[in-house]
Amino acid sequence: MRDFFKLKKQEPSFIDKNLPFTDIQYTVLDTELTGLNEKKDSILSIGAVRMAGTRIELGNSFHQLVKPDTQFKPDSVVVHEITPSDVLKKPTIDVILSEFLQFCGSDILVGHCLSIDMSFINREMKRIYRNTIQNPLIDTYKVYEWLRKKVPTKTCFSSSPQDSSLYEIAKCFSIAVRGAHNALIDAFITAQLLQRFMPVLIDIGITTIGDLLKIGHPLEGGDTHKISSEISNF
Amino acid sequence: MIIEDVIDFLRKVPPFQFLDDSTLKDITGSISMEFYPKGTFIQTQGGPADYLYIIKKGEVKVSIKNENEDVFLDYRGEGDLIGYLLIFGGTKARANVTAIDDTICYLIKRETIQNLLYLNPAVREFFNKSFLTRYLDKTFKEIKNKNLVYSGGDKILFTMPVGELASKGVISASHNISIQEAAEIMANYRISSLILVDEAGVPSGIITDRDLRDKVVSKGKDCKHPVKDIMSVPHIRSDVKEYCFEAILKMVKHNVHHLLVMKDDKLQGVLTNHDLMLIQGTSPLSIVKDIESQSTVGALVPVSRKINNIVGLLLNEGAKASSITRIISEINDRLVRKIIELAEDRFGEPPLPFCWIVFGSEGRKEQTFKTDQDNALIYHDPTDPEMEKAAQEYFRDFTFFVRDGLLKCGFPPCPADFMATNPMWRQPLHVWRKYFTNWISTPTSEAVLNTVTFFDFRAVYGETRLLDWLKDFTLSMAKDSKIFLGYIANLAIKNRPPIGFLKTFVVEKSGEHKDKLNMKIKGLAPLVDIMRLFALEKGIKETSTIERIQVLRDKHTIVKEYADELIHAFEFIMMIRIQLQFEQIKESKEINNFINPNNLSNLEKRIAKETFQLISKIQDLIIERYKAMIW
Repeated sequence: MRDFFKLKKQEPSFIDKNLPFTDIQYTVLDTELTGLNEKKDSILSIGAVRMAGTRIELGNSFHQLVKPDTQFKPDSVVVHEITPSDVLKKPTIDVILSEFLQFCGSDILVGHCLSIDMSFINREMKRIYRNTIQNPLIDTYKVYEWLRKKVPTKTCFSSSPQDSSLYEIAKCFSIAVRGAHNALIDAFITAQLLQRFMPVLIDIGITTIGDLLKIGHPLEGGDTHKISSEISNF
Repeated sequence: MIIEDVIDFLRKVPPFQFLDDSTLKDITGSISMEFYPKGTFIQTQGGPADYLYIIKKGEVKVSIKNENEDVFLDYRGEGDLIGYLLIFGGTKARANVTAIDDTICYLIKRETIQNLLYLNPAVREFFNKSFLTRYLDKTFKEIKNKNLVYSGGDKILFTMPVGELASKGVISASHNISIQEAAEIMANYRISSLILVDEAGVPSGIITDRDLRDKVVSKGKDCKHPVKDIMSVPHIRSDVKEYCFEAILKMVKHNVHHLLVMKDDKLQGVLTNHDLMLIQGTSPLSIVKDIESQSTVGALVPVSRKINNIVGLLLNEGAKASSITRIISEINDRLVRKIIELAEDRFGEPPLPFCWIVFGSEGRKEQTFKTDQDNALIYHDPTDPEMEKAAQEYFRDFTFFVRDGLLKCGFPPCPADFMATNPMWRQPLHVWRKYFTNWISTPTSEAVLNTVTFFDFRAVYGETRLLDWLKDFTLSMAKDSKIFLGYIANLAIKNRPPIGFLKTFVVEKSGEHKDKLNMKIKGLAPLVDIMRLFALEKGIKETSTIERIQVLRDKHTIVKEYADELIHAFEFIMMIRIQLQFEQIKESKEINNFINPNNLSNLEKRIAKETFQLISKIQDLIIERYKAMIW
């Protein structure tokens, strides 16, 4: 419960929206799931890596396999290559989630199509702590979509990836995508994606965390929001 | 998982490649990764310098702003470091570093590096000292590891001091005892050789089983005679601290099978070729023995084929390039001498004393694999025309015999016909003196080519005094001929090594060797030419580049300052070349001097770069000195 209170103290309002986003600490995360059904499936693993501004702290990472509380589905095993025997002796999500919350602290959470990960994490949060994650969130896919509309001429944004998957977008930015596929590696690729977006954002005058949070909001989608720099231009 | 990738990468980057796994893990714990889009600054001069940057991907430009002028310093790429000067204190960046391509860097905190420096001598050494002078050994190790073609892998020859291998507690006896007494001692102790000492206990000679056979039994000599009569003096000595390789070289050179191993002028032991054979298997010595025991050119052919294998063996033993070339030259010398002896057997006593000389790489003792024949013959000045005619006829047949013998043993003829078979290069001493006088006083381009060709000459057989006279004469003449030296200086600066360009090297722009680098023309030749120039300036006799550097370090201001660097640079280029050619021979390809810079490791690339920078720096100094004469 200690983590819960710790979390409570760190309301998003504590972040000064005018701070440059290069001065903010981020936890970039990814989860592996038994499937995509929020009711039936559960978290298999959580991977995360810390970013201090534009810098990825390679040694400062989190990666845990979880003993799932739902049945394994053979088809998802093919995707994440985690087999039942891999996770049988692992801690439960209760333990892992507590560790993960400790790892995140008050960081801004970043993920690719983050709302999926968050819906599973928050389901467990509600069950264990009767609360949801309060940390501010940034979805790299939303940022990508926004930049594509904003700077369509820039090479990395002009080429259209086959789909919106993390790997396809990463390839457009010549970020190394290897065969292996796990939560930590995917979190690392996501972090590199954010790292590539940051200078592009700065180039077009977007520098504050407040603006980045609007552009990268997981649910609403950045492009529906007017961001402050745009307003000031009017 | 992401850390493992970093560790794998650092394993190829000096100085991190010298760290053990647990240290690497510790460092990577605090490592971070940053992306710099093309055109952005990684470091700004005067800005903070809290990190050491390792370029993971991309390319950067290092420059310094000096009174509003941007002075270009260096390009760096994958595996290179940025900001290592912070190690020497100071918290401000000393240069501007700009990404000239999208660049990814790993960042290590200053404190982490300083800790590493404190705990790890190898890393300390790396940062404290010039890469070139200190990192050669490591490069060699790396090169060698790439090339473990021969089994075994012991580096005993080059790591074990003679003192450890030599038999200790040597049996010795007074040189005043009789032959019989000596033989008795040998029989009692079951030894094949006996050291004899004088009244003061200082070794004065040695007798071996062979001496008893050759000098006593077969001659029916009275064994009551003092052993002094048959003992071999002078014997060759070796210091306990010398490496076995040096011992082998001495044995090869003096054709002996025993060395006295001395410690502080006292006899400590005896080293036999048998001891050396035991640790080696195939040995350079056994080849020499093979050469010596043949009596026809035909029988020498199979022996000579083994010489290339020796290079592989020595590479594997961890030999330095200069050690390899010294041994190979020594063996080749023996082969040449043997063929000349066979020629003497065939044509009888020469009408006049003569001296067989070699030049080019052979003259500099820098031969690796079979190179062109570069040889000539000097004979004593004849006193009358009749003798002159006899000498001409004798030496004509003689030199053709030697040339054909060498040809059969795999030494191709010189395409420019610098061979003793060419009547021009088979002349009495006074003609040779006239040649050099003309070349030095009227240095046409052909004359300069001739002089540089011949100036690395060395006597291999015969009356070496003939060459000494010629050398004394020409060296004293060249030393004072400023115009002639000017020509030689122009030659030494003609081939500028490839530096300062993107991707580190200037490579061939077209043709079969596109994108490759000619190590001989761009690296070796300038160094050899530079040292020949310096040798001529000071009139020193040494012909090998390394020997020239060593002798000139006390005599020549430029060499004094750069001697160690020059030696290392030379060793490095030779090593890269030997390595390349050995590979080519193994794959039965034609030998050439073209390396692909992409095949060099990061460490090799760095050393190559430093080597070329050094050569270029010395060439600049030469230009400065010969200003008025450079065209």
